[in-house]
Amino acid sequence: MSSKLRIRLPAPRISPWFAWLAVLGMVLLAALYAGAQVFMNGLWVTNLTDLVPWGFWITLDLSSIALSAGAFTLCAAVYLIGLKRYQPVARTATFVGLIGYTMAMLALLLDIGRPDRFWHALVYWNSHSLLWEVTMCVMLYLTVLVFESLPIFANFGWLRQRLPRLANAMSKTHHYAPYLAIAGLAFSMLHQSSLGAVYGVIKARPFWYKPEMAVLFMASAIVGGISLTLFVSMVAARLTPKAKINDALMERVAYFVAWALVGYLYFRAWDVLAQHYTYEPGRTEGLELLTSGPLSFNFWVLEILLGAIVPMVLLLTPYTRKHPFWRTVALGLVVVGVITYRWDTNLSGLLVVISYLPGPAAIKYTSYVPSLIEVISGIGIIAYGLLAFSLGVRYLRVVDHRLTVEETKTVEVKSGQTIPA
Amino acid sequence: MSKRLNRRDFLKVTALAAGAATATRIAGQAAAEEGAGAGRGPQQWAMVIDQSKCIDCGYCTLACQAHNDINPDIQWTRVDPAGQVDGKDVYLPRPCMHCTKAPCVDVCPVNASYYRADGIVMMDYDRCIGCRYCEVACPYQARSFNWKAFDGPNPAVPDWGQPEVPRRPRGVVEKCSFCYQRIDRGLVSGLQPGMDADASPACVAVCPTGARIFGDLNDPASNVSKALKSHVTYRLRESLGTEPRVYYIPADAQAMEG
Repeated sequence: MSSKLRIRLPAPRISPWFAWLAVLGMVLLAALYAGAQVFMNGLWVTNLTDLVPWGFWITLDLSSIALSAGAFTLCAAVYLIGLKRYQPVARTATFVGLIGYTMAMLALLLDIGRPDRFWHALVYWNSHSLLWEVTMCVMLYLTVLVFESLPIFANFGWLRQRLPRLANAMSKTHHYAPYLAIAGLAFSMLHQSSLGAVYGVIKARPFWYKPEMAVLFMASAIVGGISLTLFVSMVAARLTPKAKINDALMERVAYFVAWALVGYLYFRAWDVLAQHYTYEPGRTEGLELLTSGPLSFNFWVLEILLGAIVPMVLLLTPYTRKHPFWRTVALGLVVVGVITYRWDTNLSGLLVVISYLPGPAAIKYTSYVPSLIEVISGIGIIAYGLLAFSLGVRYLRVVDHRLTVEETKTVEVKSGQTIPA
Repeated sequence: MSKRLNRRDFLKVTALAAGAATATRIAGQAAAEEGAGAGRGPQQWAMVIDQSKCIDCGYCTLACQAHNDINPDIQWTRVDPAGQVDGKDVYLPRPCMHCTKAPCVDVCPVNASYYRADGIVMMDYDRCIGCRYCEVACPYQARSFNWKAFDGPNPAVPDWGQPEVPRRPRGVVEKCSFCYQRIDRGLVSGLQPGMDADASPACVAVCPTGARIFGDLNDPASNVSKALKSHVTYRLRESLGTEPRVYYIPADAQAMEG
């Protein structure tokens, strides 16, 4: 080829924002393909089996819900306990929660065999099923989150210009925030605990069969949910001028996370320690998988050391807590720890197969590694979450601690009087 | 027949009464919808399996697959090796236990698993959403998920029988139903389940050694009542309190062939 014909292209200037969208877009396209494979061919394209019927997607589902717990916790703190100055953080948490619950819904749609029947739990009630209770609470709480998020969506510039009255009306739902916070607290406490109890009531699997499951899921959700909200806020503020954080506010909430971690670690330590005493078929084997078997790296390193102890120390130490970098690292680690806890809890119960044959319980082990299709479609759901959050930061100012609620107050003013500022 | 209430009878009656009471409470809306909980009906179906007679021929599994039109990847009833007695191999056939206190019924978020009045734990395949919580909860691995669509011919048909129920779609959980369709049609025709092969579960009808006994716990003259009276029996994972309706007569070396 002759090089006579030269076309001079202007040097392409790809903004980081565009590059980010392009990456997310490609991941989403791959995930759409993977998801289509699942819907067209059925769940045999996964590595799930009748022995391990729950795997990667259920972890994604449980983690999304757990990490959305910042919404109800911070809304309760702001509107019920009255810690008004944290309102901007609660606002971010609400948006993160809305994303998290929709992510969970997407993961569930992939995971259930008949996604066309997702609405059955709303119609055919089995009030004895914890999964029914979780489904109802999640649906109701998602509704609450939508209402709580309306004032955030009212910030959308396009909407404000084109439909100012609608935007105004959406803004006004903020006045119902305390009532929404009460409903959110009730539904969240119910289903965050019940998700643990979903495992905790299964008598056939002694590793799960214990009342602490509900408490541990609740406690880890509170710790992880607040951490994720702070983490994404701090990362966003570092990456884009669209996100503005009040670092002192972040630091105070992070200090709460530190002490909440102390409490959580206390429960978790006794949960593991107490199970070491006496042999119980199935339970002991599950614990061995976790503490010395194939899941031991996850447990000791990711969940306990990096996921709990290191962030606890980092956030309790004033120097590292006040240092934005170390604080961000610590909060990110807490998130990793909570996800690892969900993954390990699900697997250590399922990988131990207790024989139903008579005589002393014979224990066998099975294995599970998610298939590529499971992983790609799952990562696509995470990409959706990141995309939604990024758009929120850019167009809805979901991370903006300068925003405060318009607090309208009627003041009687006599003629000639000056109004104090 | 002796009028004396022995311990087994007492336990059985108590279990049934407790089962009825619990099921009434637990089944909740299911009971309201179906009209009755487990243990309420006049008949209470149960199975007794004599391990001395099981020779692992696998006929039960094949007949089950034909009559219930099951995906070849799935076995509603299967035969597991269960050790040896005096050097002779022992087997354990495992259908659904049709628990009186079934974990699967408790956990199902949509009431797709429910008790029939005659004690059979049934699946409503039109209602199942395929969440697989019942599989996680079942202590007997008696439930199977339709991972793949089952199209094409059933290799067990026609050699082992003709399909009697519709094939399940992809994405729902399925399990042994004690061949409810054979029981119900048999009763309509005046046959007696457990006595007449056409009214008994396919596995019972096909078993060449008579290892499977089926019948009504409420009828003292039924095969199962007699077998339970004359033999020491056990049930699987009894400590879980699920109260299975499948009883096993442990293998006895002297009663075994070869």
